Amino acid sequence: MRLTPYFAYAKKSFLGRSAYRFDHLMGIFSTCLQVFIYWNIYRALYGQRTEVDGITLAMVTTHFILSMGLKEAFYTDDGYLSRKIRDGSIATELLRPISFKGRMLAENMGNALFNLIFRFIPAVLISVCIVGIRPPADAKSVLLFAVSAVLGYGVLWAISFACQMTAFWLINTWSLFTVKNVFVKVLSGSMLPLWFMPEWMRGVLRATPFSSIYFTPVQIYLGQLSAEEIGWRCLVQLLWAAGIFLLGDLLWRRGQKKLVVQGG
Amino acid sequence: MQDNTLKLIGLYMKTTVRSWFQYRVDALLRSVAVFLREAAGVIAIYFTLLKFDELNGWRLPEMMFLYSLLFLTYGILIIFFTGLRDFGAMVRTGKFDRYILRPRGLLFQMIFVNADWFAAVGHGGLGILLFVISAGRVGIQWNAGTVVYYVLAVAGGVLIQGALFLFLATLNIFLMETGSLKELLYYDTRKFAGYPISIFHKAIQGFMIYVVPMAFVNYFPAQFLLRKPDMAGFPEVFLYLTPVVGVGTYLLSYLFWRYGLRYYKSSGN
Amino acid sequence: MGNLIEVRDVSKTFRVSKRGKGIPGMVANLFVPRYEKRHAVKNVSFEIEEGEMVGFIGPNGAGKSTTIKMLSGILYPDGGSLQVAGYIPYRQRREYVSKIGVVFGQKSQLQWDLPVIDSFELLKAIYRIPEEVYRKNLDRYTEMLNMGGFLNQPVRQLSLGQRMRADIVAALLHSPRIVFFDEPTIGVDVVGKEVIRSFLRELNKRDRLTMIFTTHDMQDIEKTCRRLLIIDDGSKVYDGSLEGIKAKYGTTRQLDVEFSHSIEVRPIDHVRIQELDAYKKRFYFENTKIELQELMNHLLSEYPVRDLNITEPAIEGIIRKIYQGEEVGA
Repeated sequence: MRLTPYFAYAKKSFLGRSAYRFDHLMGIFSTCLQVFIYWNIYRALYGQRTEVDGITLAMVTTHFILSMGLKEAFYTDDGYLSRKIRDGSIATELLRPISFKGRMLAENMGNALFNLIFRFIPAVLISVCIVGIRPPADAKSVLLFAVSAVLGYGVLWAISFACQMTAFWLINTWSLFTVKNVFVKVLSGSMLPLWFMPEWMRGVLRATPFSSIYFTPVQIYLGQLSAEEIGWRCLVQLLWAAGIFLLGDLLWRRGQKKLVVQGG
Repeated sequence: MQDNTLKLIGLYMKTTVRSWFQYRVDALLRSVAVFLREAAGVIAIYFTLLKFDELNGWRLPEMMFLYSLLFLTYGILIIFFTGLRDFGAMVRTGKFDRYILRPRGLLFQMIFVNADWFAAVGHGGLGILLFVISAGRVGIQWNAGTVVYYVLAVAGGVLIQGALFLFLATLNIFLMETGSLKELLYYDTRKFAGYPISIFHKAIQGFMIYVVPMAFVNYFPAQFLLRKPDMAGFPEVFLYLTPVVGVGTYLLSYLFWRYGLRYYKSSGN
Repeated sequence: MGNLIEVRDVSKTFRVSKRGKGIPGMVANLFVPRYEKRHAVKNVSFEIEEGEMVGFIGPNGAGKSTTIKMLSGILYPDGGSLQVAGYIPYRQRREYVSKIGVVFGQKSQLQWDLPVIDSFELLKAIYRIPEEVYRKNLDRYTEMLNMGGFLNQPVRQLSLGQRMRADIVAALLHSPRIVFFDEPTIGVDVVGKEVIRSFLRELNKRDRLTMIFTTHDMQDIEKTCRRLLIIDDGSKVYDGSLEGIKAKYGTTRQLDVEFSHSIEVRPIDHVRIQELDAYKKRFYFENTKIELQELMNHLLSEYPVRDLNITEPAIEGIIRKIYQGEEVGA
């Protein structure tokens, strides 16, 4: 498999993003504002307490900075396939001598890389200046955080990919993706730190891929996991990403057949 | 003449509802999706308060009551102000010119010609649900006085947000891209308005009272009915101002709209 | 009877925002916008009488859509005066727009998801059309345009030609005195175009309805309009009949000649010669300067001619030349 065309797609989407500067600045500002607001909320929730269930306010703040920052970087274009199917261009796309799935991933990764450099880093730096952050447990934690964050993106991307494949059967995927985003928002820990979930919810969470997206990297950064646990969690991330991708791939094959049968 | 206008409003409503019902299954799914999307914030608060019991003196049912005002007002608002929400696209595509060519008031048309019933059902449904769950558990004495206050507060809350929509719509006549500004000034602010503003930094409180007065949509009306101790940080008179702020901001936005229309007619787009 | 539309020395200038470079330029632009002036329409005057069908043409950005927007009350002019049917369009918007109809070929005013008839009923309420007027117009137009078959179909299921017919009726229901058409046949197939054109001609003949067209399809103009208004670079460059423009600008004729063997033709006064291939040559000449008969006699007597073919200038060609500011026919 030649990689050059995929780099070209990634580069194109990377460069394409730099066109909307004002929107971009506002996006960073909005992220920092949200971190600040959540810091306000948790400061009020903690009140006089220094810790709740062993979690300090500084850890919660760190959680919000990192997960909100990653949320900025983790780009998926949920409507991609559905648009291609509705306007009929999917047929020509499939005739090109490159993998359509590879192209989807390459374009999203180009965007994600752009966001990582120009949104994640400034948003995190500014937020740190405003509300402070807990320093990482050690240098190894930062490195493993990065590895786990990449795997987290893999999980999020695979979920988006598999859901997109339903576009072969549904006319409109807007509702499905809105519901998907509710699950990601609530269960991934981007909106509320999963430490504070009731015990039964944490049981449910263990059976779903969502906490692998943001919460696992954050826990690694904070040094909450032992070396062995980190190994297991990353493996779990990898398995979720691969498993969901394979499910999506199965739908992809079926969907293509359906397209051929309909003469689309 | 009056009769004719009312009939036209009825016909506009019928048209939007019928368009909506053309795709029954999709319409239902969309409304449910909007309901769930908005409920995400409430679910987060629910889990948080299971652990922390209270937020600056506010307990779960009180928080839900605070939230319900936000969703109820938005559910009503979006029946009338969808046209202004989508105004930017209308100006860019030139669709707005079509409304200038019809013998009816422009704002009248913007208000009645379109209605996003997905959002109305999704937000409104959530607002009603939260109200039903919380209204009996937060110690409000429901009598003629409180009911009248409540109705006026909801009307005021709708007007305040309507004024924001009108202001942001008019901005589209002057600026090409207002998406992110709109996001910040309205949608971001609205996300936080579900919390008692007393927990926020003074600058944000000031922003939500004097710049984008979302605090008058739910926080102060809820305070009038609930009287939580954190009201001590704000002037007592704020409890009664929601309808006044509503009418005031709406008039200001209306003047800006008139000015914007004059500009539009002299410059096109 | 007098003029229905009177346009005197109308001008319109736009401020075009000048963008600074980079982020500082953008921020500066946000707070202190800088503009430069662009004259879209410069001192344009014309009159249109009741019952005329006028084609309004010009290249993109020439100022024709600005002029139409001023005539329909969407924009107001910076200078000059404008009166239509006794109204000043931009001042008395609500009264005025009940007297006009506007058809945008590319922007339907029908409800996409609902049957055509529902949009008509809505327009009836918007324009306060009395029941008997509405009935009469609806019955008459649907019959003339043969629309009975799809009146109850959702707009999204209609063909482009059907949708365009419905859009035209939508603009006529309130019995306007003037109708503006912007690209009324765009994308419609040949048969559909003919249906629309003959309907409009019929309407003009019977009701003396005044119509103004802006279009890129010269066939629309040739088959409906008797009068042509050409605007270029903000100014009026031609106002007159279609035949007039041919007489005035279309004086170049071309004569294609096939010779029986390859030959060299000596230069002829007032004639430009173009080599097509070894045997064929094309002769351009001004019929004001040299007559066809004269040229033919000359060629036939001097050279071995096998075949002759004369071509009239096409209206598209003439108009393209006017746009290009060429000294036509030189």
